[in-house]
Amino acid sequence: MDLSTLGPFLVGVITSGLVLGFVYAIIALGYTMVYGVLQLINFAHSEVFVTGAVVGFEIFRVLEPSPMNGYLKLLIALIAAMVASGMLNVIIERLAYRPLRNAPRLVPLITAIGVSLILQDVIRIIEGFQGRFDLTYKLPPAFNTNFCGADSSCEALGTALTKVGISLQIKEVIVVAVSLLSLALLNYLVNSTKLGRAIRAVAQDRVTAGLMGIDSNRIIALTFLIGGALGGISGVLFGMKFGTINAYSGFDPGIIAFTAAVLGGIGSIPGAVLGGLVLGVIQNLIGVTNVLGSILNIANLQAIDASYQRIGAFLVLVLILIFKPTGLLGRSNTEKV
Amino acid sequence: MTAIRPGSQPPTAAPDRTWWLIIVGIITSSLLMLTQEPTWRAALPGGIAKFLTNPLVGSLLLTLFLSNLLFAFRWKAAAWAKALVFFGSLFIILPWAGRDNTAIFDLAIQIGIFAALALGLNIVVGLAGLLDLGYIAFFAVGAYTWGIFGSGQFAKILGYFADNGGPVGGGLRYLLGGLLLTILGAVVMSIISKVKGKWNTGQRWANFLAIMGLVAGIIMSLRGVLILMSPQAQSLMSGVNPNFFWLFLVLALFAAASVGVIIGLPVLKLKGDYLAIITLGLGEVIRVLANNLSTYSNGSQGITPIVSPTVPFMNAIAGALGFSPDQYNLFFLYFLVIAIIAVIILANVRLDRSRIGRAWVAIREDEVAAQAMGVPLMQTKLIAFATGASFAGIMGVIFAAKQTFISPESFILTQSTSILSMVVLGGLGSIPGVILGAAIVTILNISLLPSLGEATAALKLPQQINPAQLQRLVFGTILVMMMLFRPEGMLPSARQQRLMHEDDDPSDNETPQDSLKHSAVEPAAEVYSPGTASIKDDQRTGGAR
Amino acid sequence: MSSASNNSFILDVRGLTKVFGGLTAVNDVTLQIPRQGIVSVIGPNGAGKTTFFNMITGIYEPTTGFIELDGVNLVGLRPDQVTSAGIARTFQNIRLFASMDCQENVMVGRHSRLKAGYIDSLFRTKRFYESEQEARDVANMMLDFVGLGQFRYEMATNLPYGDQRKLEIARALATSPKLVLLDEPAAGMNPRETEELKSLIRRIRDELGVTVCLIEHDMRLVMTLSEYITVLNYGSKLAEGLPHEIRNNPQVMEAYLGRGAVAGEYGKEAVAGMQEGV
Repeated sequence: MDLSTLGPFLVGVITSGLVLGFVYAIIALGYTMVYGVLQLINFAHSEVFVTGAVVGFEIFRVLEPSPMNGYLKLLIALIAAMVASGMLNVIIERLAYRPLRNAPRLVPLITAIGVSLILQDVIRIIEGFQGRFDLTYKLPPAFNTNFCGADSSCEALGTALTKVGISLQIKEVIVVAVSLLSLALLNYLVNSTKLGRAIRAVAQDRVTAGLMGIDSNRIIALTFLIGGALGGISGVLFGMKFGTINAYSGFDPGIIAFTAAVLGGIGSIPGAVLGGLVLGVIQNLIGVTNVLGSILNIANLQAIDASYQRIGAFLVLVLILIFKPTGLLGRSNTEKV
Repeated sequence: MTAIRPGSQPPTAAPDRTWWLIIVGIITSSLLMLTQEPTWRAALPGGIAKFLTNPLVGSLLLTLFLSNLLFAFRWKAAAWAKALVFFGSLFIILPWAGRDNTAIFDLAIQIGIFAALALGLNIVVGLAGLLDLGYIAFFAVGAYTWGIFGSGQFAKILGYFADNGGPVGGGLRYLLGGLLLTILGAVVMSIISKVKGKWNTGQRWANFLAIMGLVAGIIMSLRGVLILMSPQAQSLMSGVNPNFFWLFLVLALFAAASVGVIIGLPVLKLKGDYLAIITLGLGEVIRVLANNLSTYSNGSQGITPIVSPTVPFMNAIAGALGFSPDQYNLFFLYFLVIAIIAVIILANVRLDRSRIGRAWVAIREDEVAAQAMGVPLMQTKLIAFATGASFAGIMGVIFAAKQTFISPESFILTQSTSILSMVVLGGLGSIPGVILGAAIVTILNISLLPSLGEATAALKLPQQINPAQLQRLVFGTILVMMMLFRPEGMLPSARQQRLMHEDDDPSDNETPQDSLKHSAVEPAAEVYSPGTASIKDDQRTGGAR
Repeated sequence: MSSASNNSFILDVRGLTKVFGGLTAVNDVTLQIPRQGIVSVIGPNGAGKTTFFNMITGIYEPTTGFIELDGVNLVGLRPDQVTSAGIARTFQNIRLFASMDCQENVMVGRHSRLKAGYIDSLFRTKRFYESEQEARDVANMMLDFVGLGQFRYEMATNLPYGDQRKLEIARALATSPKLVLLDEPAAGMNPRETEELKSLIRRIRDELGVTVCLIEHDMRLVMTLSEYITVLNYGSKLAEGLPHEIRNNPQVMEAYLGRGAVAGEYGKEAVAGMQEGV
C-alpha cells in the first residue's frame, strides 16, 4: 500500500471502529446503570452479556432451517436474549448483591467477581453438554451481504461509500440501527418516565429516595433488569459482529466496555456511548498499527498488532483515571467529610 | 492472627485433645503411607489396595493427612504433641511419601508456593484493603527474572543483540546516553518534587516528560549493556551459573517490589472498585507483554529448561535417605519453600503488629480518618503493594526453578482469582487462615479436580465439561459463598471478626472489667505461637453464625 | 511570607476562599487563633464551617488564601502533613477505626510521631520496641486523660456515642498537636456529658497546653467556653468578638433567627443558648 490509499483505509478502519463502538456502548450502559444505583462494578455483567450472545446463537441455530424472514429471526433473538439476560441479572442481584447491601465495600466486589467466574463455567457446561464450545452464529445469509452492494436498489450509494473507504455489511448496519434504537428507548425511559426518575433518585441518594417513598430495592432490581436486557441486546450484536463467541468471550469486551463507561464518566448514559465509540475506534486503530507502520514506513510500528488491542484499552483506562477520573462527561463526586 | 489483645488465652473449658492429636496423626499418616509405600501396599488385600490407589481416594487421604497440621495448630493440646505432629508431618512423613510418589512432593511445594502468594496478597487485600486482581503479575516478574537468566534465553537475547544491535562499540554510546538521560530525568523529577502545593499544568507536563526521559534512559542503558555483553552469548548457552539462583532470589524480590511500586504509583490513588479493575488490567498487560515481547520471553512458547541450583549437602542427605537422583531437586526445593514461608510468616506477623500494620488497617477502615491522623496514604499503600509483590517475586523464582518451564499461560487471570479465593476462604487478614486457604484451593486445583476428572472418565462426559477444568466454578463458588455466609473466612483474624460482626449483639463482647485483667502488656508478644488463638477464634470453630 | 512573626497567634488564616463549581462555600474568611486560646466558629447550618476546617486540615485545597501554623505555610500540604505540622482534628460524623480497640485507635494517632520505620518493624530493632512502647504509653495516657482509661481494650464501636466522641479527641491528642480542631464535639451528648466535655476541653488547654478551636451548635457550651468567637454565615465572616459581643450582635441574631416568621426551632434554641450561657 502507499500513501494515497491511507485516507480510505483510515476511513474504513474508523467506520468499523464505530460499529464496534456501538456494541461497547450498549455493554457499557449495563455497567454504568448498575454502578449508578449501587456504586458496584458488576463484574458479572460480562457473563450476563455472554448469556445474551448464547441465547441469540441458540435462536439463530434453531431457526436456521425455517424460511422465516431474517429480520423476524433477529427480533426473536433480541427479545429472547433481553429476557434471559435481564432475568439473570435480576437473579444475581437478588441472590448475591442484595444480602450484602450494607457490608463493607470489598465484600460485594469480591462476590461480583465470584459470580462472574461461576457463570463462565455454567455457560461453558450448558453448551458443553451439547459438545459445543466455540459458538458460531448462523445468521440469515442476507445479513452477510454488503450494504448497498451490487444488484441492490441503492448500488450507487454503495459504490460512493466504497470509494471513500466505507464498506459495510448488512449485519453491521443492523448493529448500528439496533444500538441507536436501544439508546433512544433507554434515554426516554430514564429521562421521561416515572421509573426513570425513581432510578435517578436512587442513584443520587438511596436513603433520601427511600424517605420519599421510593422502594429502593424494587428500583435497584428494575435497574438490573434494564441493565441485563441491554446486556442481552449487546450480546446478540456482539455475536453478529464477531461471528464466534464462547463462554469466556465476555472478559475482553467487558473490560473494554467498563473502560468506556469510565472514559465517558461512570453513571452517565451519554458518556457511556461516547466512551464506547472512542474506544471502538482506538481499538481498531491499534489493530491496524502494523499496517499503518508499513504504509508510513515506520519499522517500530509494525510490531504492534491486534494482540496489543487489550493493552490499549487498559492504558486508556489508566490514563483517564489518573488525569480525569470523573471521565469526559461525568460529574465530580467528592466524599463528604 | 492478629491477636491484639495481649494475654488472651484459650478458655480453660476447652477439652485437652493431646491424645486425639497423636492418634489422628498416626492414623492419617499410616493411611497416607499405605497408599504410597509400595511394600506396605503389597501387604494389603488386593481390593483394599486398589481402593486406596484410586486417585480420588488418594487425594482425599492426602488432604486428611495435611489437616493434621491444622489440628496441631488449632487444637488445645500439650506443646510436645503439637510439635511432634507438626514437625513430624512436615519433615518426616511428607518427604517420605514424596520419595515414594513424586507427585506428593510436587503438590506440597505447590501448596507452599501458593501459600506464600496468598500471604503476600493477604497484606494487600486483607490488611490494607486494596483489592488487587493482577497480583499474579508480580509472580510472573519473579519467574521471568530467573527464567530468562537460568536458561538459554539470556544467550538468545544476547544473540539477538549481536545480530541486530549494531557494533559492540555502539553499546557504550547507548549506555552513556541512557545513563545521561536517566540522570537528567531523575534530577528534573527531584527538582519538581520540591515544589510544594498543587502543581500547575506546566509542572505536570515537565514531570511527565521527566518520567518519560527516565524510562527511556533506563531502557537505553539496558540496551547498551546488552549490546556490550552480546559477544558473551556463546558462554551463556545454558544460562548463568545455577548458584546465581541465590542472588536472583534477592533480585527478584527487588524487581517485583519495584514493579509493584511502578504499578502502584499511578493507581493507588483510586478507590476500591477502580483499583480492582485497573490492577486486573495491568496484570493482563504484563501477561500480554510476556506473550508479545518474544525476543525476551520467547513468547507463548515459554522458556525451558530452567536450571536449579545444586546443593551438594542437601543432595547427600537425600541420597542417604534413599531418594532417587531426579528427586534431589524437589527435595531441596521443598525445604527451601518451607524455610522461605517461615520467613514470610515472620515478616507478615511483624509488619502486622507494628506501626505499619496499624496504618494499613486504619487505611482499610477509613482513609480520610487515617490520613487525618497523620498516615501518609500513598506511601503506606505503596509499602503494602511492594511487600506483597516481593513475596510473589521470590516465589516466582522458585516456581521457575521447580517447573523448569514457564510461559505466559502460567500467569493468567484465573491464577489471580484463585489466590484471591485462597485469601477469602481462609480469612482476610488471617495468616493461618490464608495458609489453610492456599492448601485447600491448591489441593482442589491440582489434586482433587484432576482426580475427579479421572474418576469420572468412565462416564464419557463431553470433553467440554471435564471436572478437571472446573476451576472457575470452584473459585467462584468459594468467593460467593464465603462473602455471603462467612465473610471473615474459615480462620478469621480477630480484627475481621469484629468488623464483619459489628451489627451482632455487642453484649457478647468482653466487659471493660474483663479487659482490665488482660492489661499486663507484653511488648515482646511477637512469637508466632500456634494454639494461642483468641477466645473468639476458638468459639467460632463450631461454625455457628 | 506574612505577618506570622506576630507570635501571639498560633494559627493565621487570611482571605480563605473555597469555590465548588459555581458555589462559594467559604468566602474570604480571615481568622487568627491566639496561642493557648479556646475559640469557636459558629454559624447556621451550611455556613461553611466544616469546609473551613477541611481547608485548614488539607482535605480541601483553598481556592485562594493562605494558612500558617506558627509561621509555617499549610496551603498545599496533604492532610497527613498538616497533622505532622501540628494540627489534629475530630470529625462531625464520627470516624473511628471499627475493627480496632480503643487503645489501637489512639495508637494510630501517634503514627506521625513514631520513628520506627519498615526496616525497624521487620527486624524488631530497639527503636521498634521504643516506638511501640511510646505509642502505647501515649495512647494510655490520652485515654486516661479523656476518662476512657478503663475501656482500653474495648472495641471502639461498642462505646456509647458520647464516649466515641471523647475517643476521637484522645486520638487527635495523641498526635501531639499544637492546635486541635473539634468539629461539633457535643453533638449527640446529653447535658451531663456536655458538662464533662466542657471541663475536658478546658483541661486540654490548661494541662496539655494545646490550643482548641471548635465548631459547635450548642450555644451554652460555646458561650461559656470560648474566649473568642467567629460567626460564619453563607460562607462569609459575619462577626467576631468576645462572647458577650456576639450575644448582643443584632446581625448574628438575625442570621440565626432569620427575618420574621422563618425562625426555626433550631435558631430559637441557639439564641436562647447564647443568652443563657455566661
